[in-house]
Amino acid sequence: MTASAHFPTPSFKRKLPALLSLVFPGAGQVYLRKRWRGIAILVMMVVLVFLIQWAFDNFKVGLWDFGPFTTSWLWVALSGFWAWNVFDAYRLAQGRSASRWLAFLLPLIIIYVIAWQVTDVKLDRLVTRFSDAQIVFRAIANPDLLERDKAAQIGQTTFWVPCSSPPQPLPTLAEPYQLRTDVACGDVGEAITLRGQGLIPGMTGNIYWYLEPDGTREGQVREGGQAVEITIKADGTFETTFAIPKIAGLDGVDPANPLLQAIQVRFIQEVGPLHLSATFGDIIGRTVEGVFIPGQIFATLALGLLATIFSTLLAVPLSFFAAHNVMERVPGGTAIYYVMRTILNVVRAVDTIVWGLLVIVWVGLGNLAGLIALTIHSTAALAKLFSEEVEHIDHGPIEALTATGANLLQVIRYGIVPQIYSPFLAYTLLRWDINMRSATVVGFVAGGGIGFFVVETIRKGGYREYAAALWAIAVVIILVDWISGKWRQRIAEGDTKMVLLRPKPWYKSLRKLIYTFLLLAIFVGCLSILQIDLRKLFDPSPSFGKLLGDFVTFDLSREVLDTVLKQMLITVFQALIATTFGALVAIPFSFLAARNLMSRTWLSRGIYYVVRSIFNVLRSIEALLYVAIFVFWVGIGAFAGALALTITTFALIGKLFSEAIENIDAGPLEAITATGATRLQAIVYGILPQIVPPFVSYAIYQWDINIRISTIIGFAGGGGIGLLLSTFFGQLQYHKAGTAVLLIVLVIVAMDFASAQIRQKLV
Amino acid sequence: MLQVINLTKTYPNGTQALKQVSFEVQDGEFLAVIGLSGSGKSTLLRCINRLIEPTSGQVRWDGVDVTAASGRDLRNIRRQIGMVFQQFNLVKRSPVITNVLSGRLGYTSPWRSLFNSFSKEDRARALDNLEQLGLQDKAYVRADSLSGGQQQRVGIARALMQEPKLVLADEPVASLDPVLAHTILKYLEQMNRERGITVLCSLHFLDLVHRYATRAIALKDGEVVFEGLPHEIDDAQFKAIYGQEAERVSIV
Repeated sequence: MTASAHFPTPSFKRKLPALLSLVFPGAGQVYLRKRWRGIAILVMMVVLVFLIQWAFDNFKVGLWDFGPFTTSWLWVALSGFWAWNVFDAYRLAQGRSASRWLAFLLPLIIIYVIAWQVTDVKLDRLVTRFSDAQIVFRAIANPDLLERDKAAQIGQTTFWVPCSSPPQPLPTLAEPYQLRTDVACGDVGEAITLRGQGLIPGMTGNIYWYLEPDGTREGQVREGGQAVEITIKADGTFETTFAIPKIAGLDGVDPANPLLQAIQVRFIQEVGPLHLSATFGDIIGRTVEGVFIPGQIFATLALGLLATIFSTLLAVPLSFFAAHNVMERVPGGTAIYYVMRTILNVVRAVDTIVWGLLVIVWVGLGNLAGLIALTIHSTAALAKLFSEEVEHIDHGPIEALTATGANLLQVIRYGIVPQIYSPFLAYTLLRWDINMRSATVVGFVAGGGIGFFVVETIRKGGYREYAAALWAIAVVIILVDWISGKWRQRIAEGDTKMVLLRPKPWYKSLRKLIYTFLLLAIFVGCLSILQIDLRKLFDPSPSFGKLLGDFVTFDLSREVLDTVLKQMLITVFQALIATTFGALVAIPFSFLAARNLMSRTWLSRGIYYVVRSIFNVLRSIEALLYVAIFVFWVGIGAFAGALALTITTFALIGKLFSEAIENIDAGPLEAITATGATRLQAIVYGILPQIVPPFVSYAIYQWDINIRISTIIGFAGGGGIGLLLSTFFGQLQYHKAGTAVLLIVLVIVAMDFASAQIRQKLV
Repeated sequence: MLQVINLTKTYPNGTQALKQVSFEVQDGEFLAVIGLSGSGKSTLLRCINRLIEPTSGQVRWDGVDVTAASGRDLRNIRRQIGMVFQQFNLVKRSPVITNVLSGRLGYTSPWRSLFNSFSKEDRARALDNLEQLGLQDKAYVRADSLSGGQQQRVGIARALMQEPKLVLADEPVASLDPVLAHTILKYLEQMNRERGITVLCSLHFLDLVHRYATRAIALKDGEVVFEGLPHEIDDAQFKAIYGQEAERVSIV
């Protein structure tokens, strides 16, 4: 049967697995009945070979130039892995095994080298171009939310260019004059002294040269490249000397025909109390003739709220079709169950932003498109969560109610609804939080909400407006996060709370009536803020059918596949780099944000609150909104996207890590200390085993999330497949866009599955 | 009178839970059904009100063929037959009063019940039943905040709301402490004596059967292996029902 039957020599029998693995990686391990080890080695090998070749073809990663031929040094690392596989088979045959460290280390080196180059990581730019980024940071520190009125003081006098002979007389000035020159005329480059008096002290201003006293052609007077700045002294005077600027000679310098020109001094100062700026009005709202007109942030709130309401209404019925315990009772139900589950997973894998691109073809740019995109994605996500809850329904009460003679409707009302109401509400609240975050960015492509406003400000370079939007978003999201969290906590606690008073039916309780009324008012308010025209739903643009048809006829030509695959891999590597950076930075901070470690002194408690707040604020803003900062800092491309993702990763992982630290069980530490171990030994054996698995598990989970976000980060200039997608959509190449979306779905569903499997093994 | 005639149940996986089971229950009896786990007790009780569909055979209740009824007729039969469960089967998140009132659903118009609207008489009756079971102050707390024994009493109150002529009790005390077991069975006994409700109760422990039942049947592998008075179960009978290795145990 086995090879050993033909080759009975024991030494050969020991070497056979190694030989097998030498010829075919993993074969020796499979032969030794370590089937999964063998398959893992083979899969790893195939993936690495493909990646090295791909990275070399596209990016010359690991280039070694030997004149006539070039290759990648990563092949050497791969040979190392191959050698390890042979050695492992050899050791396994002897009943031992090779070190696993190398098995993980070599592929990791290869993957990170490729990821580093593909993502175009240029850490030096963070330092060398920091001065560029300072503009943004200064704007963030000083967002355009408040401003003062501006007061202007303008003084003007005339001047001849050049002098005639005899020189022109100084203009006669009526007292009180404000401005005079020491001479009445001069040539370009000659120094003149300008004096002023009777001015408001303390103001600073600049000098402007006019080619005609009442003309519009002007130039600022500069000295050594800097605008000449003058400050009015306490007595209301100033004196400055400067050279006549070149602009004065623009119309020719002819002593026979001197020209009357003008010098103007403009002092502009902010005066009066701070008041809300125009940007504040755009973002939050303004009052016009006593009527409050809500700004973009309210439109965003309305988007998130309506999307949550609509998606909940849609997800409730859908969830029953995706619940195994319900569908197995219905004829043909199992088939419907699988179809439903697949649809939900695919719809969920496509980001809201990408749905936005599809929806705008249907209903055009605007709030409605954003709302539909949010609703589609949220419905799929909620229906999946709901269906899992339906699958956990306790069958006992249903049986008991059936036994009392209740009909189907009554069984649902009294046996099923009370069981699912609370968990459904909790999931809906969680989803509201997520939808609010998505609503802040859906405007990037679909129009509507604050996302659209942000795109506009970035395009105009209005960084203080951009900063104002970021702050407003942070406040709103933190608020929504807090409300949703508190509410969910109350639902969870309500599980054991005793109700001692007989509750009234809803139509008799004033409080519930008010709530119902409030809910309706909010719903109507949201609709009116968004000014949604539902008729558009039934009136798609004429090309919609054709474009949709194009979209599902995937273009699988070699050229398109190569391009799409390249950008998809960049996206995956970008997410890997961002996760790694974010997690590494988060580790030290997570210890500072762990309550159990930081509650000793008031100083450490202070640090705890500061770090926690940093996490919360950074977490409240979507990665897509951060991209603009890094595009400005390190330039457009995958690296900027990776850095934006790093920020959100840092905040989220930092929070999760710190919670893992808070959950440390002190028992093992105590037990190991009791054995006489040193402090270091106690930490290594008592603490690390408790935090490393959750850390790794969270990091993998975050990578999974980051790949999802990476697919859209290109819409803001962050590189990867998002950029490609927006190009395809922009150029109406829907068949290519379809290919890209298809690949995104495949990768995300696969990653989702893989990360769930790995995490299950870890914890 | 309840007549069970040649009742057979074969599950889709081939398990024969009941084999040609026949017996009669006179009005006012307290009939105990005993047997090992898996002997078919639960299946038998559920076939009587058709929570489980029997494969063949007949169940007749006051002369009406239960096995042939469907739709509204079946629901009308069910509402006359109360049921008490081993796991209580309460809606844990609903208040006790709603759980009790749900026993009234068979009598309430569906549309009315959708809005949790029950008649004044029903509400009064629910509170009255709870009071008799010693739970009057728990009417408006959530069902899952009660202890196991209290939950089972709510289960009994729910069955009482149906004004049943027959109560099927499926291992009503198997999930409870021995002391509580007696409390619950005393309520069932009280129901049986004072209201004349026929009780069909599956039980594990023989001494409970001796103490409460007026008659007993025993099932083994889906077949009736004994039918008679509780004290007639001697050691030989006992071994036949529970197997050769079984020992008699008693609970408090």
